[in-house]
Amino acid sequence: MAVIEPTLDDAGVMEFVATGFVLLEGVLDDAFNAKCDKMAGGNIDAFIGEDEFTKTVLLHPKIAGVARSLLGEDFLVPAGGHHHLYEAPHLGQTWHSDGLSGLGYDVTELQCYYYPQAVEIEDGPTMILPGSHCRAVDREAIAHYGDIRGQMSLTVPAGTVAMTRYGIWHKAGPKTNDRRRGMIKFSYHRQAAPQRDWKIDAPQIPEYQNQPRLAYVTEVESYRDRVRRMRTWNWLCGLDEESQLRWERSRPVSEIA
Amino acid sequence: MNSAVGEWLATSRQKLQAGTLTAQDLDRLAKLVETPRQLVLYLYSKSTNMRSALASWMLYDATKPQEPTLPSQEAPYESVLDAVADGWRIVQFPDAKLYRYDDVDNDYLGFEFILEKMI
Repeated sequence: MAVIEPTLDDAGVMEFVATGFVLLEGVLDDAFNAKCDKMAGGNIDAFIGEDEFTKTVLLHPKIAGVARSLLGEDFLVPAGGHHHLYEAPHLGQTWHSDGLSGLGYDVTELQCYYYPQAVEIEDGPTMILPGSHCRAVDREAIAHYGDIRGQMSLTVPAGTVAMTRYGIWHKAGPKTNDRRRGMIKFSYHRQAAPQRDWKIDAPQIPEYQNQPRLAYVTEVESYRDRVRRMRTWNWLCGLDEESQLRWERSRPVSEIA
Repeated sequence: MNSAVGEWLATSRQKLQAGTLTAQDLDRLAKLVETPRQLVLYLYSKSTNMRSALASWMLYDATKPQEPTLPSQEAPYESVLDAVADGWRIVQFPDAKLYRYDDVDNDYLGFEFILEKMI
């Protein structure tokens, strides 16, 4: 049985709760990247299910360590996936999410994007919208959006893996050259009940420390984001509803001597 | 009749009598009778106020070939009002009643103004 150690601490998990992704740059080696780069586009379940891909990528200590941190013990390791491959210039995809976010506050699936080659801005990098993962949307109803303040183009070195909360808004960006640009997509899933069993220094669960407001977010949405994040943090920590709306920099009057 | 075309006809009749009508005059007429085409600009304002900062934007320009352009973090205008000052006409204002939310959940991104410019 593979033993996977969590790699994220409280601060890392809180940041994921706010942004909806973890970026691991250049974690996979050149030889394996070169092998993946030769794959044809389309379904690659057989390739992903092989021992080599499983050991090299899926159980890589840094990649699996994030999955262990966010999905708990005995998380489900992917046995299939898809190779998104682009060569010719194109306008880019429209903004979309691949799915909903479950109950809205849970984290049950991590969708991962693996780039076997370096990606430059002209290559049509995947674009993500940090913080959008909590918004359950009709994907066709956001297709007319263009540039969004705070959007992020994943221009990354070869061997990079982005691990996202399923539901984050993303798209293939506009591609202006004819260089091959591939991305291998696969997902880890949770089966354990949530609890704070990532890398911790002390047993007491800290209150959620809010993250800076995102560039596209309106005033009232920044309050909504804060509540959403607190709920997700509390859900991940296995806390009950009663404690969900405890604000930082405050305490119950009953605790004051 | 389009008033600009009317002016062109009046001027050109005089030029024709004087023998000074040129190919450039005909080019100018060709431009005047072109059907104007619509540019559409979506601006997502951070509030229903036209002076608010923008969260997102998208220009649909059917007069040019549809070719990929690199993404940008630079909005074309600071606000909806700036766009109006530059000649854009608002064809749809955001209806605040449509921006419903449930508890802390919502699925929209800023307040949608749709603008047009005829060229």
